[in-house]
Amino acid sequence: MSQTLLQMNTIFISIIIEALPFVVIGVFLSALIQMFVTEEMIAKMIPANRFASAALGSCIGSLFPGCECGIVPITRRLVQKNVPLHAAIAFMLSGPIINPIVIFSTFVAFGDSWKMALYRCSLAIGVSIIVSIAISYLFNDQQLRKVMDHLSHNHSHGSHKMSLRSKIIGTIDHAIDEFFSVGKFLIFGALISSAMQTFFKTSALLEFGHSKVTAVLVMMALAFILSICSEADAFIASSFSGLFGTGPIIAFLVFGAMVDIKNLFMMLDAFQKRFVFTLVSLIAVCVFVGALII
Amino acid sequence: MLRIIILFGFTYFFMMLHAKGDISKYINMKYSYLSFSMIFLMGFLTLYQLIQWARGDKRKDHNHDHDHGHDHSHDEDTILKKVFTYTMMLIPIITGIFLPAATLDSTIVKAKGFHFSFIDNDTDQYANHQILRPDASPYYDKIAYNQMDKNDLKKYGSENRIVLDDKHYFRALESIYNHPGNFIDKKVVLKGFAYRTDDIENNQLFVLRFGIIHCIADAGVYGMLVEFPKDVKSQIHKDEWLQVEGTLETTYYQPFKENIPYLKVTKWEEIPKPKDPYVYRQY
Repeated sequence: MSQTLLQMNTIFISIIIEALPFVVIGVFLSALIQMFVTEEMIAKMIPANRFASAALGSCIGSLFPGCECGIVPITRRLVQKNVPLHAAIAFMLSGPIINPIVIFSTFVAFGDSWKMALYRCSLAIGVSIIVSIAISYLFNDQQLRKVMDHLSHNHSHGSHKMSLRSKIIGTIDHAIDEFFSVGKFLIFGALISSAMQTFFKTSALLEFGHSKVTAVLVMMALAFILSICSEADAFIASSFSGLFGTGPIIAFLVFGAMVDIKNLFMMLDAFQKRFVFTLVSLIAVCVFVGALII
Repeated sequence: MLRIIILFGFTYFFMMLHAKGDISKYINMKYSYLSFSMIFLMGFLTLYQLIQWARGDKRKDHNHDHDHGHDHSHDEDTILKKVFTYTMMLIPIITGIFLPAATLDSTIVKAKGFHFSFIDNDTDQYANHQILRPDASPYYDKIAYNQMDKNDLKKYGSENRIVLDDKHYFRALESIYNHPGNFIDKKVVLKGFAYRTDDIENNQLFVLRFGIIHCIADAGVYGMLVEFPKDVKSQIHKDEWLQVEGTLETTYYQPFKENIPYLKVTKWEEIPKPKDPYVYRQY
């Protein structure tokens, strides 16, 4: 076994060991909330005013420490329950970032520094409010795909009718399912990241790093492709911090938590195509501009 | 069934890392409680999954998930996706358990920008000149070396401010390179001469000392990468002696393709060249 491969494995394993605890805590908490908090509770809290609901939607996301794939189905059900579309979108965009687990994992990943966590949160809130307000002018609330009926039927025997015991069992089952579906993306991302660091020449990567514009674009594309859960992506991002500056890394952390391959499919499943593509472009532009300013 | 094996694999892997102490080669030990608690969480999940499997009511559980409209089961619909999921999950378990953690190898460093005439011009092919990281293991048998390594870690790892003076230079430095995770965020005081390779940043330097582990035939150059808060290229020249104090971090250092410990300098001063520039290993 060559030394280089051993090296790559060492980086790979250390990313996994650091990130995995956050994933496990994350899947447990999100499973708990899935079981015990209903969409009706949120629907009641959203005010009618367009700007207030965009802001509040962004904040309520913090009650759902989930990652970007777990939050799409919740968002869909919120819209079904007549929460205004733009408020639900604000919730969907900020939820995966503005929550205690993600903030703590970002803090730990960047060597006990609040700087990156702070930048990440500020940009996320900014993007989510701007995109949400834009959506409220561009679209009416009827953007769900109609074929979702069978799912809402299934959901009709909902969580509140279950006994506590079966709720707890449901929570654990749910956590294990999510551990596997989230874990594979983390591992895949860690593999790519460790391979890039081991096999790419620094000079080749620095070419990108030279211009901030290309660096931000590269990191956004990477975030989209890698599809790492927002609880764990800070550890991947920090492993790139020798190669890229703050702006590109924040772009990775914010864009990846809002849009990536796996949640794009879930959004396309829930919403109409035209809506999803407008949404993704809006997010991309906002993150890009924000990252350049940082 | 595969799920049980994978969950158990992770449990075992985290247990092994902590039992053997290898965990410090991978992560900052300050948060080791997180990965320590993983042993129990994962163990619990393994047990739970085992019981579910033994009862054979897997079918029912899956309906359960659909009830909550949560489409994760979507992810594992097709056989191909299943294969992908389980292969991915198995990779870190297998490579983590069976492959050793790579550490700085002096033979690699030699080729990467360090040039000292007494090393480059040495024609004795049996000479063992080390660079940067002291490695005394060739001079001991394995058990004795491990015992000493353990004692050194206990001794230096418990200090919050480690002064690498002549007496402790080798053993403390070796301990830091062997277990960087245990030393992260600690204060380290180091003196030596400045050395620059082509591929470091303007605010970085190597602070090095010539040292002798065993005899002059294996004299080497030992020290650490240090990073200043500002550009020092024009201020501190090659071969100037200085004493630096800083906090220890690790970084992935591209030219070596390794994670190496380095100091984030908080204080530094120039010092006169000491009478004996060599340090000697204490036995």
